[in-house]
Amino acid sequence: MGYSGARGGLAAILAAEDLVRRKRDHAPAPWASTEQITERFRLAVDRVMGEAGLYHEPTAAAALRQAEGDPLEAAHLVRAQRSTLPRLANSEPVDPDELIVLRRIVPAFREPDGPQLLGRTTDYTGRMLERPDGQPAPPDASPEPEPVERTDEQRQPRRFLDLLRKLDLVVDHRGENGDAEPHDITRVPARPPAARSAVLATMARAETGALVGLWYRSILGPDGDVHEVTLGEVRHGRLPLRIRHPHTGNPVTVGEFRVTEAEAIEDLDGAEEDRTKFDVGYGLCLGHNERKVIAMANLDIANRRFGRQGPLEQLLLLTTDGLDSGGFLEHLKLPHYVTFRSMVERKQAMRAAADAGMGPRVADPAGRDCR
Amino acid sequence: MTVTTTDASAIRALLADVDEARGVRQEILDEGAKREVRRAVLSAVCVPGYQVPFGSREMPVARGWGSGGLQVTLGVIGPADTVKVIDQGDDAGVNATNLRRMIGGTTDCAETTDTRDATVIQSRHRIPEEALGERHIMVYQVPVPEPLRGVEKSVVECGRMHAEADYSKMWVSLYEDIVRNGLITASSGYPVEVDGRYVMATSPVPRWDVPRLHQAEHLNLYGAGREKRIYAIPPHTDVHPLTFADVPFEVEYAPDSYCKLCGSDDVFLVEGGPNGGYVCSDTEWCTRVREGDADIVAHRKRAPLGQLPDPRRRLVGTEVEEEVHGTVERTADTPEWALRVSEVGKVHGSGGAAAVPGTGPESGSAVSPSTGAIVAAWDVDFDVAPGEALGLIGESGSGKSTVLSCVVGDVPATSGTVRLGAVDAGRTDVLALPDEQRRKLRIDSMAVVYQDPAAGLNLDITAGGNIAERLTAAGWRGYHRIRRRAAELLDRVEVPLSRMDDPVRTFSGGMRQRVQIAKALATEPAVLLLDEPTTGLDASVAAGVIDLLRGLLAERDIAAVVVSHDFAVIEALTDRTLVMQLGRVVERGLTDQLFHDPHHPYTQRLVAAARR
Repeated sequence: MGYSGARGGLAAILAAEDLVRRKRDHAPAPWASTEQITERFRLAVDRVMGEAGLYHEPTAAAALRQAEGDPLEAAHLVRAQRSTLPRLANSEPVDPDELIVLRRIVPAFREPDGPQLLGRTTDYTGRMLERPDGQPAPPDASPEPEPVERTDEQRQPRRFLDLLRKLDLVVDHRGENGDAEPHDITRVPARPPAARSAVLATMARAETGALVGLWYRSILGPDGDVHEVTLGEVRHGRLPLRIRHPHTGNPVTVGEFRVTEAEAIEDLDGAEEDRTKFDVGYGLCLGHNERKVIAMANLDIANRRFGRQGPLEQLLLLTTDGLDSGGFLEHLKLPHYVTFRSMVERKQAMRAAADAGMGPRVADPAGRDCR
Repeated sequence: MTVTTTDASAIRALLADVDEARGVRQEILDEGAKREVRRAVLSAVCVPGYQVPFGSREMPVARGWGSGGLQVTLGVIGPADTVKVIDQGDDAGVNATNLRRMIGGTTDCAETTDTRDATVIQSRHRIPEEALGERHIMVYQVPVPEPLRGVEKSVVECGRMHAEADYSKMWVSLYEDIVRNGLITASSGYPVEVDGRYVMATSPVPRWDVPRLHQAEHLNLYGAGREKRIYAIPPHTDVHPLTFADVPFEVEYAPDSYCKLCGSDDVFLVEGGPNGGYVCSDTEWCTRVREGDADIVAHRKRAPLGQLPDPRRRLVGTEVEEEVHGTVERTADTPEWALRVSEVGKVHGSGGAAAVPGTGPESGSAVSPSTGAIVAAWDVDFDVAPGEALGLIGESGSGKSTVLSCVVGDVPATSGTVRLGAVDAGRTDVLALPDEQRRKLRIDSMAVVYQDPAAGLNLDITAGGNIAERLTAAGWRGYHRIRRRAAELLDRVEVPLSRMDDPVRTFSGGMRQRVQIAKALATEPAVLLLDEPTTGLDASVAAGVIDLLRGLLAERDIAAVVVSHDFAVIEALTDRTLVMQLGRVVERGLTDQLFHDPHHPYTQRLVAAARR
């Protein structure tokens, strides 16, 4: 019962929902509280916030719990929740130079301005599975290390790009896009040809795996739009959120949010390019998700160079949203027996025509020449 | 199988339980978003068949599961409305049920399964069999709103094709379908032309439902949530399925089929289970027929029984007369030339006209000493009269092909003007026309034959299909007339008619070039441009193509420009010739005189090379 048809549809749906709820919410195991999820599954929460395009850790955590840990389904829940709410204000533009770094590395330089700050990362931790049974070992008896006093310069280091600019090694694109007011992809669908802000916003909200896959396609696939990229910056840190006060009209800080940021330096080698310089691509997304912003920064510069010569711009704008691709894929599970019947009928009509001596033409074999 | 009409009150009771358990009734779309949807709907109604972009929100159902239809329904529905939701024609399918509870659970509208009581009908894949009237709004869920996707993968190019109503690729795909399969195999979501303008995807409903859209009493709204598009067919709008005037549109049919539940044989039927037979897709209609609560006489009149497939009508349709375009009425103010090119120049790189000094034959270089730009052509003048052929000769790099590309519009010229006698009596500089109008000139005013046949042909479609592309672009809509014209042209260029329906990729180089020539002549353009038409061919094959071209030019009142590096080709085909070197015209005159008495040393070298 249930699927095909028609009948008893609602009872079947309700029963399925009930089964999910029982197994998930009443599993014989301790309840996973929102705090459990935000504190212990930080990267999953951050990924959901980035792909949903909404920064609120408890909402993302609740979505992850409801989605049984499926990040794409969780992003869907968050975005659908967002659709029910009015838009009360637009935030003020924020300068990423205001970022207070929690982590910052500059692979392109041994001693950049400001710190190389490893921060919270498992990059250099051996991938060895730990299987604590029950509670983890009690924390080290020694007290937590005292936070190091840091200067403003260390908290908000100058970016590597500034140095490259000082050395006159970077092509300057500032102001040339005519793209001062960023394209709001949630209100105006972005299609090629689109402003850079539309492509950046699309990538910032894209599914992480889709973006990484597209980047890797350039590395080992048929396209090769990424040439020889070196990372200038990878940062994770906090930015202030400001809106204008409804009465005074002055910008007011109403909160802060964490973002990950990357800058990718590309070696220019094209015939029409200034081969004495580099060009830089930019990536930024909500939460801590380095894989995503590094792919984004690489693809930003690839899109500037090759986006419209080949399929890249269309791929970035139209194929990287997880809700779009995942939803459309899953819709194949819906009943399609009307459209399939229509297809079957055409096959039968071709056969009937063949029986009447007016069937499909068999083309001469490809390659047969004539003079 | 038993079929029962869903009991709305039972659903309400179940929903009430669920709502009570949850404690709240949730909104799923905020009022600002609904307003946006309504604005897009109004635009869509004003421009029937045009896909209006909108800020599609994420819904509690996934993309592809009716998120667009749901937004449209929530945008247009109010407390006075009664909603019916169907999937595959069925009120009780899981998807329909799910959407119905969302609509019912978040608005104050009433619900029904009876089309006669409904005001808003949200549907996936069907139009109800019951008559629809002005009180009805049909809302369709649309998975893929772009009807051109099958023939064009670039969304930018699809946008251009819609903007310019350039649908020849669609027509060619129909032509190729008939050639290959004996019939049009497009199944559901059949493309239609709306209000004589936009080509539109029909949701996908089966072909059975498509005739219901033409001059309908009701409003049709289409919501594509994933692709963020809304489009509409307002009441009393012309909607025609795309098909040739002499090839009938066909709805679904199975011999001797009828619904094994209600006995109807004039409805859209779906497979009735493993034991064979068919049942109504529209469960409401099926139930009412059995209950004697259906006006089956009126329904039979609505049913598209006149459009059932009939192999005999497919390929022996009535002939449609078409006009061969390109024959220009000559009036008193028509200039005596067909093409006039004045002071055309092309600079690759920076500087424009300022880059020109210091380049050319006197300087021995095309590279600008001041800017480093390449001056590919400069100050080129000529005109060509109807019935005349003009040669442009020079070594490779002399700029002759650049001039041709500027005239055609493949490359933007840096300077100069180009006029066509057939366009505004030669008063308009076609270089100044917008791209759209320049492209239109290439349908029937000016044709090109490229050195590489792949530049002028689609190698994956048949010889006939390539010619059909030009003819359908010029507005031809008769399949048999197109076939006849293509056959005439192919016969004239000596391509065996037995190869007309083979993909051009299977042809030899010389044969491909002949097809390209036939396509260029399809609409009898006033101007024909030939860019090294025989350069890629073996000498013996080239000689045959030159003979053919000579004959074709002699029998037509066409103005031709022949670009070649080979004086033998120029000598065989042209009356007058311009000799180009390093982007400049260095000598000009009657071809015979140039060939027998060249003055410029460069021309002498070219002639000597041809005589060797």
